[in-house]
Amino acid sequence: MIMQTLKILSELLCYPEPDLIEHLPELGDVLDAEGVLADSDRARLKAWMLELGGGDLMALQAEYVALFDRGRALSLHLFEHVHGESRGRGQAMVDLMNLYQAHGFKMSARELPDFIPLFLEYLSRRPADEARELLGEAAHVFSLLKARLEKRCSAYSMVFASLESLASQVGDDQEIRARVAAEPVDDTFEALDRAWAEEPVSFGPGASCVPTGGNTQTVQWVPREKGQVS
Amino acid sequence: MSHFLDRLKFFDKVQSTFADGHGAVTNEDRAWEDAYRLRWQHDKIVRSTHGTNCTGSCSWKIYVKNGLVTWETQQTDYPRTRPDLPNHEPRGCQRGASYSWYLYSANRLKYPMVRGRLLQLWRDARCDQDPVAAWASIVEDKEKARDYKSKRGMGGFVRTTWAEANEIIGAANVYTVKQYGPDRVAGFSPIPAMSMVSYAAGSRYLSLIGGVCMSFYDWYCDLPPSSPQTWGEQTDVPESADWYNSTFLLLWGSNVPQTRTPDAHFYTEVRYKGAKSVVITPDYSEAAKFADIWLNPKQGTDAALAMAMGHVILKEFHVQGKSDYFSRYMRETTDMPFLVLLEPHGKAYRAGRFLRASDLASNAGQQNNAEWKTLAYDELSGKVVVPSGSIGFRWGEQGKWNIEPRNAATGVEVQLALSLIEQRDEVVSVAFPYFGAGGSEHFTRTDHPTVLERNVPVRKLKLADGSSARVATVFDLSVANYGIDRGLGGGNSASSYDEDVPYTPAWQERITGVKRQDVITVARQFAENADKTHGKSMVIIGAAMNHWYHMDMNYRGAINMLMMCGCVGQSGGGWSHYVGQEKLRPQTGWQPLAFALDWHRPPRQMNSTSFFYAHSSQWRYEKLSPAEILSPLADASQYPQTLIDFNVRAERMGWLPSAPQLGVNPLAVVKAAEQANQEPVPYTVAQLNSGDLTLACEDPDNPANFPRNLFVWRSNLLGSSGKGHEYFMKYLLGTQHGIQGKDLGTMNGTKPQEVVWRDPAPEGKLDLLVTLDFRMSTTALYSDIALPTATWYEKNDLNTSDMHPFIHPLSKAVDPAWESRSDWEIYKGIAKSFSECAAGHLGVEKDLVLVPTLHDTPSELGQAIEVKDWRKGEIEPRPGKTMPNMVVVERDYPNTYNKFTSLGPLMTQIGNGGKGIGWNTEREVENLRQLNRPVTGNGQFGGLPRIETDIDAAEVILMLAPETNGEVAVKAWEALSKITGREHSHLAVHREDEKVRFRDLVAQPRKIISSPTWSGLESENVSYNACYTNVHELIPWRTLTGRQQFYQDHPWMRAFGEQLCLYKPPVDTKTIAPLLGKKPNGSKEIVLNFITPHQKWGIHSTYSDNLLMQTLSRGGPIVWISEVDAQKADLKDNDWIEVFNVNGAIVARAVVSQRVPEGMSMMYHAQEKLLNIPGSEVTGLRGGIHNSVTRTCPKPTHMIGGYAQQSYGFNYYGTVGSNRDEFVIVRKMKTIDWLDGTPAQSAS
Repeated sequence: MIMQTLKILSELLCYPEPDLIEHLPELGDVLDAEGVLADSDRARLKAWMLELGGGDLMALQAEYVALFDRGRALSLHLFEHVHGESRGRGQAMVDLMNLYQAHGFKMSARELPDFIPLFLEYLSRRPADEARELLGEAAHVFSLLKARLEKRCSAYSMVFASLESLASQVGDDQEIRARVAAEPVDDTFEALDRAWAEEPVSFGPGASCVPTGGNTQTVQWVPREKGQVS
Repeated sequence: MSHFLDRLKFFDKVQSTFADGHGAVTNEDRAWEDAYRLRWQHDKIVRSTHGTNCTGSCSWKIYVKNGLVTWETQQTDYPRTRPDLPNHEPRGCQRGASYSWYLYSANRLKYPMVRGRLLQLWRDARCDQDPVAAWASIVEDKEKARDYKSKRGMGGFVRTTWAEANEIIGAANVYTVKQYGPDRVAGFSPIPAMSMVSYAAGSRYLSLIGGVCMSFYDWYCDLPPSSPQTWGEQTDVPESADWYNSTFLLLWGSNVPQTRTPDAHFYTEVRYKGAKSVVITPDYSEAAKFADIWLNPKQGTDAALAMAMGHVILKEFHVQGKSDYFSRYMRETTDMPFLVLLEPHGKAYRAGRFLRASDLASNAGQQNNAEWKTLAYDELSGKVVVPSGSIGFRWGEQGKWNIEPRNAATGVEVQLALSLIEQRDEVVSVAFPYFGAGGSEHFTRTDHPTVLERNVPVRKLKLADGSSARVATVFDLSVANYGIDRGLGGGNSASSYDEDVPYTPAWQERITGVKRQDVITVARQFAENADKTHGKSMVIIGAAMNHWYHMDMNYRGAINMLMMCGCVGQSGGGWSHYVGQEKLRPQTGWQPLAFALDWHRPPRQMNSTSFFYAHSSQWRYEKLSPAEILSPLADASQYPQTLIDFNVRAERMGWLPSAPQLGVNPLAVVKAAEQANQEPVPYTVAQLNSGDLTLACEDPDNPANFPRNLFVWRSNLLGSSGKGHEYFMKYLLGTQHGIQGKDLGTMNGTKPQEVVWRDPAPEGKLDLLVTLDFRMSTTALYSDIALPTATWYEKNDLNTSDMHPFIHPLSKAVDPAWESRSDWEIYKGIAKSFSECAAGHLGVEKDLVLVPTLHDTPSELGQAIEVKDWRKGEIEPRPGKTMPNMVVVERDYPNTYNKFTSLGPLMTQIGNGGKGIGWNTEREVENLRQLNRPVTGNGQFGGLPRIETDIDAAEVILMLAPETNGEVAVKAWEALSKITGREHSHLAVHREDEKVRFRDLVAQPRKIISSPTWSGLESENVSYNACYTNVHELIPWRTLTGRQQFYQDHPWMRAFGEQLCLYKPPVDTKTIAPLLGKKPNGSKEIVLNFITPHQKWGIHSTYSDNLLMQTLSRGGPIVWISEVDAQKADLKDNDWIEVFNVNGAIVARAVVSQRVPEGMSMMYHAQEKLLNIPGSEVTGLRGGIHNSVTRTCPKPTHMIGGYAQQSYGFNYYGTVGSNRDEFVIVRKMKTIDWLDGTPAQSAS
């Protein structure tokens, strides 16, 4: 069984185009028919979708650009939050692309493999269990984005709340909220140092980076220090 | 039994220990090593580099895996150097290595963006109108125009398609061309050498439609006008490898390890070889640690130090005659022996202009250009002679433009006298201006008189008109100017270094704070080394010296030392100014592509400083009066009372370019002339002369004269280089600004006489600002349309630098991400859209183009003796002589795209050339036709070589340039030989068969071929050194005398007292008093000098929004101050401070450091509004950028034109945007308001 709901969430996270607005009503029907989201989540999402349909598209687009096309904090690229501008990101993207390819999906859009709507589209074509598992891997990013969007009072936070609920494992909500609440002080030296401290390189037996079997490295979903989201 | 069978022949047994038990053999899983192997796996490596703002031009390996860039490392395959010279590698610094993540960074500009307000207006208008009419309906409606202009910089962007963005731009350009004129469309892009095809894309489009390409080098204030003044050369310098040939390196205001990181190794290495290293910087910079001797003069007083060192060198090595080498060098390669007319001044004399052949009876035998031929006294014949090589020999005759020591009339060998002291008729008193008693109050003023009379030996001459005149050599005037006593009596000269007479070592002590003994030691050692090695003393000089209002004095002071010591043009010696121009090596191959010279000549080019001064209305706030800077010897009543008046006069006389040019649409002028049945040029001249037609510069605030459309690409004009940032905001953009001062109208100040004053001043002059960038820079944020361009790893292009002799490519490692496109493709798309929009609005049109009296053309012989303004009826208006040249250019607007993508017929009809020489290019065009393939079809474009792709464009450059096509190099040298009468082609003939192709460069960087475009040689025997061919091939410098000039004799140079180098203190910008203590927040306020050095924590000194760089720095804007000043203002390190004056305000954190001297603050440039900038307490708006507290202040001597080396050339000469004389108020902030809706925090 696959989850069309993920495809809908993917569409909702894309730059709003007339095409999407036009199809909003039927998307609501699919959400209901599939019913994988909690009733309350669905109701809120549908209410928002109704709002989207009736609003000024250009204002909506400008809001989208202001939120997602600028800066790192709300980047819709998963690895921006995991690897930032470090070198690890290249390999992580390559690994993700290999994953898509291994399951018969070839990227056709001019996008990066870690773009969340793209990732969700892929998951929407995978068995639900597998999708939930992979969602779980990225859940800490969704939680973070949800919290940041909530802080900005943006309705887009609902999409990430939905994603969280679909994931098999959910990040510690309390902990992430607490961290986001404390974020403005992140420009101190200490915070920056912490975020960017290099992990000491260790080689030899016991080193953690041992690849096992095949030549595809598993995708690295978390920053070097567990739970440290930059 | 023997152990024969036990002995193994083919194996060793694994021992459990080895190395005497220090090593152990284990047998465990080694799979972990795969992690390391995988880390370095990749699909391909592509060669590229970093393409706009760094002089490094380092070749990089870009590693690509599955179509994604994964990392980069330095390339290490530069062609080897010769024995005993280190190789160039490794090139590439840590900052460059941080670049690759811009590709996938969240800061990347991914889609074409338009501000929603504008897009809504556009779509509404577009419903029922054609594109051009739709644009007109928006910009001509005041309400609509204000609606979108006032929102600039405040977000509201939405994505659009390329088609829609291009249509808006095309329509706006067509409308502007049609309604206001093509010269109302302008474009700004810097440093073509780094990614020259990308530069050429925009400039080709603009040049095809008649738009204006704007300069950068002067605007950045990286152009040292002293270089054109002295050498007639924009900037030509030794490559960094030549440092290794030096034995005495003087780093002056340059921070080699920080700003020239990939080259610094040559500097480190030569110290191991025993070279002496002296560093002169006011702060304890990164370079100071390299010094054997570190001198720290007060910032801005370097000229005083240089004058004192010159005093020592001139006295000991010339007057006392310690060095035959120096004397010979000065006699043969400088203007020191040339004769200067003395003008009576009260009871004494003052130094006038060079004596000319036309001053003597029967023009001293010179019929051609006698007014432009200078004279000297020949010791062999005992006569005054006209030596060959002065500028008069360059034009109108052939074979005598060389600096062989010969009498041009007879061909007989001469020995020019440096001094007339032995042959003098008398000794007279000559008055020299002294400026050290005035200037800004923040610098030490001495109590010497403002006029210093000194005795000079002279000879008397009879002039053509029968009068008698006194002449002195430049050498004798110089010795007097430096205040050296020669036993000729009179005052103001010193016989001891300890006398406090300008310009002794003792005199400078008070001004610079440097001990006199250190000055004497450094000067003496510098000269001794040069004497022993025949010129291997080098000065590496930095922008720190050039960004002062009187930069020419700082620079000429150092240049004089080099010329006195015979260092210029000698291997391991000379003047090394590595700031900004980055040297476009294949320049003459690039120009036809870049300025569409294959289709139309001439192009429109503009000096940006004057442009922005006028159009961002900074002139309306000018507080520096010419009276403050004129020489006490000048008659002030003859000169205008405002700086913009000087600029307007210069434009009118054809000295400086104008943009816009005429007060009306240049297309309409030609139509009007045709209607009147007259030739357009005489018609326009008559109209101008009668006053019926004006120049746009005389009324810049007239809506007809606004620059309406502006393109910015490869640049961050508003976030970095825009001096007077807040004025840009208010007047050009019409949006929020932080200006605190009032304009001359409100202040009742002296208004200009040549310029119409309009009240209220217009705001929002630009109708359309388009920026091409790969990130949301500050400029992009303020633009109407932001177009996503390819990064340096996503396009094909070429790169060269002055630091090394190689040309190498940017190449496409991966396709441009998201919707981005290369600059070439973007402008091609705009050209297409423009062509389509033009239909029905513009057809084949005739455009009257005004061209200044350009350097390296016969127009450089403008007004030889006096300055006369036709507008004032002082002289006839003669295009190309007393006013700008005028040329009618036919533009086929609907065919703009077809012209863009093919190489036009002028290359075969007229040929190619540069720097005053020309050659035929038929063979090269034919080769390009074969290489790039011809355009298919018939018609006027069929059969022309294609320029479809960026690689096609690169091939055009490589094929046409002598530097990359040996055959062309030989042709170019032969062309020069005709003018000099000397054989030069031996310099290239050994490389005649070499033709470099783009793919060759992808394989390996190539060393370029020597060409007459440059004054140094690419050779296996010497490193590239500027002026080498002048000294060794006897090719004249492109100056009035044909020699290196200590003396500048233009009337305006004399008016400002800059005939000879001297010390001028920084000017008073008057930006503090109106605000000091007037907007209190309770914190103590201190006043500091504001210095903006090169960025340390930014990629290529530009991109400071990179997280790695921010992490290494402080994560936001910072300003450095001294510990003493911090104490005075109760500041601690990392406190939030506000830095402000009448120009605007900056908010930053304080870095309190021992490095910084008292009284000075430093803010690394290009700290943008993008990140971590809270609101200002002074303006109530978000804090500004480093240029928020500056304002452009042009200098009249940089406006001189039509005068040999002082003639306009694009990025060669012109007004410069200095900014270091600026002072700011610094104080601790009370509240930090992030302006994000959250409550402001207390700063503590």
